[in-house]
Amino acid sequence: MAVQAERRPLGDNAKAWALNAPAMIVIALLIAYPIAYSFWVSLQRNNLKRPRANKFIGLDNYQALLSDQAFLSALKVSAVFVLVVLGLTVVLALILALVLNERFRGRGLLLSLALLPWAMPGVVNGLMWRTIFDAKTGALNGLLTQLGLIDDYHAWLTSGTGAFLFTALAQVWNTLPFSVIILLAGLSTIPSELYDAATVDRAGAVQRFVQVTLPWLLHPLLIVLILETMNAFRAFDTIYVLTGGGPGDATTTIALLDVQTVLTFTDFGLGSAYAWVITAITLLISVGYIGLLYRKGNFEV
Amino acid sequence: MELNRRQILKYAGLGLALPAASPLLSACSSDKSGGSGDGSVKFEGWDYEAALVQQNLDNFTKTSNIKVDYTPITSAQYVQKIVAEFTGGGGPDALYVYDDSLAGWVEGDYLQPLDGLPGVDEVYNAIYPGNASAMTYQGKRYGLPYYTDSNCLTYNADILAKAGITKPPASLEELEAQAVKIKNAGLLKYPIGVPAQLSDTWWSWVWALVFGSGGNMFDDQQAPIMNTTDTVVKDVFAWLQQAANKSKVIDPACLQLLAVPIDNAMKANRYAYTIGARYASRDYNDATKSKAAGKIRMALIPSLDGQVHGTVSNTRLYALAKDTEVKDNAFKLLTYLGGLDANKQPYTAKFWFLQRGLGFAYRSMATDPEITASLKKFADPAIYAHLGEIAKPRNVLGVPWYTEFETEMHKVVQGVLSNQTQPSAAVASLAQSAATLKKKYS
Repeated sequence: MAVQAERRPLGDNAKAWALNAPAMIVIALLIAYPIAYSFWVSLQRNNLKRPRANKFIGLDNYQALLSDQAFLSALKVSAVFVLVVLGLTVVLALILALVLNERFRGRGLLLSLALLPWAMPGVVNGLMWRTIFDAKTGALNGLLTQLGLIDDYHAWLTSGTGAFLFTALAQVWNTLPFSVIILLAGLSTIPSELYDAATVDRAGAVQRFVQVTLPWLLHPLLIVLILETMNAFRAFDTIYVLTGGGPGDATTTIALLDVQTVLTFTDFGLGSAYAWVITAITLLISVGYIGLLYRKGNFEV
Repeated sequence: MELNRRQILKYAGLGLALPAASPLLSACSSDKSGGSGDGSVKFEGWDYEAALVQQNLDNFTKTSNIKVDYTPITSAQYVQKIVAEFTGGGGPDALYVYDDSLAGWVEGDYLQPLDGLPGVDEVYNAIYPGNASAMTYQGKRYGLPYYTDSNCLTYNADILAKAGITKPPASLEELEAQAVKIKNAGLLKYPIGVPAQLSDTWWSWVWALVFGSGGNMFDDQQAPIMNTTDTVVKDVFAWLQQAANKSKVIDPACLQLLAVPIDNAMKANRYAYTIGARYASRDYNDATKSKAAGKIRMALIPSLDGQVHGTVSNTRLYALAKDTEVKDNAFKLLTYLGGLDANKQPYTAKFWFLQRGLGFAYRSMATDPEITASLKKFADPAIYAHLGEIAKPRNVLGVPWYTEFETEMHKVVQGVLSNQTQPSAAVASLAQSAATLKKKYS
């Protein structure tokens, strides 16, 4: 009778590789490869309208950005957009989270309502606000007219400043709930003893907020800042639906310019370079946030 | 050697490569040209009246015994999807092409010229020169006409009459004065509406106003002249700015409006004037769709001096894919759709006009009794024909950077309308953009 050779069991390392391999292959194919390929494309002159002119050009696409007026203008718009959206989001989210952290009648309902906008896709959000801001039939015009604040209906999105601010508002409305959840979670971890002790020490409401709440919220705030900066920098759908980037260049953000460059102008080389610049800037800002806030957070509970 | 999907499928089928992947790739592929071996033609177009297109294709299949696999694609993404398909190696055999896309798609090796194919010369001799020119790239002919149209001034005669205006304006100054009269009579706050929201489609009304006064943005070598030898563009911009911001007769909400809302406003008697394609008048005068039915008229584009008149035309064409494997059948389909039938009649062009009022490239149709009878229901045949005669295509369509320029122009015109950009700065900016784009693509 033949003795069957004893099969050696797999080592821990081999098992770990074997178990993770399918996921790693999928991630490599669906995420790593497209990212690496987009960088490769960004190093080429690659416009579908002129396939015969395709060639490797090194960093020329990146170098061209320095004198690309459309890019510089979009970068400026994006920077201001991020500042406005981020400022409004952080302040409003903090206020809302502090309110929702209190116990009061109807809190559950308010919490549910506050979370609703988060469930709304960007395009739908854009369409909704577009209807609200409509110059002929918009709800905003109707409301202000009924309140006697304006005599005639206004075309809110036709001035550069108006379009920019209303677009930022629509973006904030859509992303605010997520920040509220993060901050609310942070607030719930603050031990009530700290507030009791601060009250005993005769600290007022402002002092309690500055000395107790804020230090404990630095980590949640860091997450909010990083994610909302990325969101605002990549904002596309709401702006595209609401203004299309206009009037003029007033709301043409870098993400909008990128999509236009790739899909409308079919310039994949330059469009990929734009995308990598967005990635690099977001990364730099995130690292900056971590450097500034991470060490200041309170780890000890 | 670079492999495209079609080649991979071929090799897979022959068992030379990828035997295991063959079923999967075949399932993913939508490429049926030649693959089924029955000579069926894969045909794609944007989704305008897809049911009517199918009805017409069924008629073709019945008479020719050639099967057509038709796919309508949403208009908003037509260009992107076709580009993606051809890039992936699975494009159609025959397709619709915008005149704006022709140069890029020829340069992209998507299309093949039709020169020398039977009946093509005859078609090109029978159509308006502007349409022939729009379908020709670097001396080669790439299409048969689907439809064409030129821009006109469309006005609501009833509103004009209520304001005591008896005839449409010939000059821009007159247009503004009439609009002010309508405004002062309390009939409409903003009598003029044009679609001026940023979008991927061309703003025909801007070109129409420029061509309408005998101007142009580019010379025949596609060099920008709007800032140098041609002053019309600047003067037209100055008029737009004045009408939008001083006399306030152009609706400021236009910056938020695409073409469809403008059409709806015309049909609801909310604008007295707009500038757009002639065929829109058919819809405006359709009592089942429009409150303004019977009141809408068309006129020549008002010009700066009221003497010169011109307008812009666009051409939509049927073209043949470069790598089609069913060329003969695909060309038969093209001939049926855009060419002349056995009786030397443009069957499908007539079909579209009678069904939907789509403009025609064939000169003979302007005097066809059946056509003129149908035309009289929504327009004055003489003005309609005159617009067709004086219309010319944009002479910058042949450059690969046209789309970028058009997009930039939209932003500049928005700046003019919203009083953020002065006309002189606007033309300087356009000239600069054109020069930058030319350099980028050189």
